[in-house]
Amino acid sequence: MAEHVILFTGPMGAGKTTAIQAVSEIAVVSTEANNSERHLVDKPTTTVALDYGEILLDGEEKIRLYGIPGQRRFDFMWAILKKRAQGMVLLVNNDAPDPIGEMLTYLDDFRELYDRGGVVVGVSRSDVSSEPSLAAYGDALAVAHPGKVVPVFTVDPRNNDHMRMVLLALVANIEMRALFGLTESRSI
Amino acid sequence: MTTAAHADPAVIAAASSVLEEMKSVASSLDYAALLTDDGFDVARLPGEIDGARFASMASSMQALGDAVTHELRIGDSEYIIIASPRGYVVQLRVPGHAMVLSALFDNDATIGSALSVARTFVTKMAALLSEAPAHRPESAVASS
Amino acid sequence: MDEEPTPGTTPRPTPMGWAQAAIAVNSVLQLSIPMLLKLELNDHEPLYIDFRHHAFAWSTPLTSFPADAVLLGLQTQPIELDAPLLFDLPGQDLDGLLWLIGTNSFSGARASWLASDDRYKLTRWPNLTQHIHSMRQMHMIAMLGNAYLSSSELAAMAGVEEPDAQRLINALSLMRILAQSTEVPAAVVAEQPVAKRESLFARLRAKLGR
Repeated sequence: MAEHVILFTGPMGAGKTTAIQAVSEIAVVSTEANNSERHLVDKPTTTVALDYGEILLDGEEKIRLYGIPGQRRFDFMWAILKKRAQGMVLLVNNDAPDPIGEMLTYLDDFRELYDRGGVVVGVSRSDVSSEPSLAAYGDALAVAHPGKVVPVFTVDPRNNDHMRMVLLALVANIEMRALFGLTESRSI
Repeated sequence: MTTAAHADPAVIAAASSVLEEMKSVASSLDYAALLTDDGFDVARLPGEIDGARFASMASSMQALGDAVTHELRIGDSEYIIIASPRGYVVQLRVPGHAMVLSALFDNDATIGSALSVARTFVTKMAALLSEAPAHRPESAVASS
Repeated sequence: MDEEPTPGTTPRPTPMGWAQAAIAVNSVLQLSIPMLLKLELNDHEPLYIDFRHHAFAWSTPLTSFPADAVLLGLQTQPIELDAPLLFDLPGQDLDGLLWLIGTNSFSGARASWLASDDRYKLTRWPNLTQHIHSMRQMHMIAMLGNAYLSSSELAAMAGVEEPDAQRLINALSLMRILAQSTEVPAAVVAEQPVAKRESLFARLRAKLGR
């Protein structure tokens, strides 16, 4: 039975832990610590190792969901987790100073995941900040990764329906990329 | 106005003095650092180790240790030991504070003695922090 | 029913519907000129589109979109970029309306602005958290995101009737997120491992989807 592993990536404060909590069918294992940088990102805690959740399919099959800590100083965890995954949900916060720049940076940092499987980008808090638009994200992706079409959706990480939609789109995209021979073969 | 521990000169000074005293009583201590729960280096002993990276890793270990003990419903993690051919890493929380001591002892020490030393000095650190009014884990105000 | 012909067009023998709206909207988007558009529909308040801001205003919510509405009138008006707003911004995102107009016009036939021999590929995914869609449509979108396919090829691959594939293509074209080409060859499908069980997407969809 193949193991299905999806990684949730993106900068601190984008909603990775929240998103996994929204879709996980088990109580999420999280590793939250007191946030020393409230002046940078205003939340009381931050993930320092990983989040872990699961979606159970029939039989014993499951989809494992891992969330990375967003800050770059934890990139040793990124290296550990990226090896296990077939696909990635990249969350960015539209209210941040340069969400498109952050998206492109994380796509680079997790390039092998993208090449091997697939990515869906989720843009949170677009109700708070309507710019940049999804079209702007699409344009930036077209320049940085010509010929590759990455789904970009607006999402509320707390919204179970949104996060289900994101996961379904990710799995559909991974399977179609494999079907058309666009990825290194590793079945999901 | 409160400041994060790793940016607070009073806390850094206290942490440095604790580590220096620790080194003076434990000759088998190769390296030690005091770090915030979220992986910032407050103070460390000199050495060739990348202090910033080590602090991040130690905070991940601490959080994973707690995750395991909570999953098993056996309480909080009291200490973590990583044993290797050339030494032990002993790690434990500064009681009552969002701070962790992580220390590398060479094989001249026994695990028991290493733990004992580490416990002594996290207790000292806790006492110093409780005296200083500035540092509280729930501090939320920017210092700029 | 009695019908008032729109100024400048020839009278139509059948009632106008979303196809005519789609044609008008497509023309405006293709010209890329700042424009206002007003649609008058039976049993509904008028629908206003301000193409300058990619927004529309309508008292009917999209969740109650009338697939069989009759279009009574259609007026376009070029407008200066800095001329006053027709309605308060942000209004509603035009993409949501384009999705519904596109999937509900032409009755499953090819949109009049599309040529017959083309293959299509997405240039950008639609925002699926905001558009009411089926899982079959998502599956087809994933195909179009990764290969050039004609409507018949898409239908065959997705296991749907060709009109359903065509509706999706019409909508994505209207939303201007579809590239088309007559020259690109048929997509190559990589070799499949022997006798795969139902795909993960199908199993996950059974669990999570609708």
